[in-house]
Amino acid sequence: ASEGSEAQTTDSDEIVTPVSQKCPKADSEKMCIEIVSLAFYPEAEVMCDENVEQVYVEYRFYDLPLSETETPVSLRKPRAGEEIYFHFSKVIDLDPVEQKERRQFLFTMLIGEDPEQGHLKFTVVSDPIEEEKKECQEVGYAYLELWPMLVSGRDILEQDLDIVGPEDQATPIGKLKVSLQAAAALQAIYKEMTEDLCS
Amino acid sequence: MGEPDKMVPDSGAVFTFGKTKFAENMPSKFWFKRDIPISLSCGDEHTAITTGNNKLFMFGSNNWGQLGLGSKSTVNKPTCVKALKPEKVKFVACGRNHTLILTGGGQVYATGGNNEGQLGLGDTDERSAFHLISFFTSQHKIKQLSAGSNTSAALTEDGELFMWGDNSEGQIGLQNITNICVPHQVTIGKPISWISCGYYHSAFVTTEGELYTFGEPESGKLGLPPKLLVNHKVPQLVPGISEKVIQVACGGGHTVVLTEKAVYTFGLGQFGQLGLGTFTFETSEPKVIESIKDKKISHVCCGENHTALITESGLLYTFGDGRHGKLGLGMENFTNQFVPTLCSSFLKYIVHLVACGGCHMLVFATPRLGMAEDIESDE
Ligand SMILES: [Mg+2]
Ligand SMILES: [Mg+2]
Repeated sequence: ASEGSEAQTTDSDEIVTPVSQKCPKADSEKMCIEIVSLAFYPEAEVMCDENVEQVYVEYRFYDLPLSETETPVSLRKPRAGEEIYFHFSKVIDLDPVEQKERRQFLFTMLIGEDPEQGHLKFTVVSDPIEEEKKECQEVGYAYLELWPMLVSGRDILEQDLDIVGPEDQATPIGKLKVSLQAAAALQAIYKEMTEDLCS
Repeated sequence: MGEPDKMVPDSGAVFTFGKTKFAENMPSKFWFKRDIPISLSCGDEHTAITTGNNKLFMFGSNNWGQLGLGSKSTVNKPTCVKALKPEKVKFVACGRNHTLILTGGGQVYATGGNNEGQLGLGDTDERSAFHLISFFTSQHKIKQLSAGSNTSAALTEDGELFMWGDNSEGQIGLQNITNICVPHQVTIGKPISWISCGYYHSAFVTTEGELYTFGEPESGKLGLPPKLLVNHKVPQLVPGISEKVIQVACGGGHTVVLTEKAVYTFGLGQFGQLGLGTFTFETSEPKVIESIKDKKISHVCCGENHTALITESGLLYTFGDGRHGKLGLGMENFTNQFVPTLCSSFLKYIVHLVACGGCHMLVFATPRLGMAEDIESDE
């Protein structure tokens, strides 16, 4: 909030509360993505891969640099039956005026017929501890479909997504828990963009 | 926080973070006219403040009557408990859903949830107004109160400890009963100097500087070797801390210990609340937080899944579960912190008090006059 516009008001005899003049952004003008936690299945190959010691998770969003959409830390690879917790949440500004292109990007994702288009893709990356020795390696992917959210109008709260490996996209190797608050924004974007198309 | 910090008076402000119910859960602040905070305490979803003028202010969730305002409706700004005005309120301790206060006359009052007798009133009926615990008189000279999930504790100047409420895990140090509705003395034959009630475990420090833990034995939060866990219902000495212990703070599944030389943590650290880095998510062996070894820590505090440390120079470090912004590290973008992280927004302040709850944190700080840069480079 821009606290520069704060005005000092008194709302009781004893307490002084500086009131922020800035209104909280409407739900239709932002989205929030949270990478909650990650687990691998005990039988997954990655569990016995000694090269994978710690992992982080990233996704891509239009103009945002990866440094803002990857978990700020790598965590020790989860043990069998263990979940590791990032609780990495990011609010993405979808202001109808200032962030028109992000709204357009989301609309393209929603209507895309290419199956690669209609989802947010999360990548689980192995982060070698001794950086000189090895390179970061992608160990799996998880996909979050946006269309069901548009249809239902409901945000996603701590949903488990299958993680699949780079080679075998059919056998899940673990699960990635994510939350996405975007239903209001997606519905608003879909409505305004389809109205534009028809007019 | 920037420019408008100028508005914070020299007498300081209380800063709110996370799900406080205040200011629509946005990071915010407030201060008192002609009064200052003396003690802060957070329950799971409620907050209490006592002031220099011996008033008690409360806000937050109130489903159990834990605000003591005579109703059960949520209160979203600090509200004075007028019923206590004839008494001088000295300090306050919030449990998960109940509240204890000490008055200047040495009396203890309780309000809120009481399903395990944690109000100490001889029954298990909840109260929405403060009631006197008749057990305590001015002779007890109480110096500290603590409250956990359905547990309560009072510590006297003479080093006598009294506890009451839930004992399902032995967290009030009784062997064979599930709960007790009146205070009982917990003794190991030595005077006690500090008490902390966690959610389902408890810990105290003796005047000699030894640490004792008891209660729920899971996930290492008692800091005891496995062979001692069978006796988890009685206070046991935690080995493995060589120097003198000064303070202890118990959270939901973790324990934080301040000694003369270091900060030790043990228990659950899956969200980073142990501050031991990204490879230690649980330990039953007390471990030193190496990354702050060169800092002089003066106070430790635990929420359910997060931890806050104040340094002697008045800086604040937080770590653990970052959800809802309760670590005070940002406005919208949150993440768990696995090592103590400096709250840079308080570099221009001296932090005096911190309290951590279930999903929130409160800080009392006064503007630092000059020399902020020196402190920053020191740290
Ligand atoms: Mg978080
Ligand atoms: Mg929490």
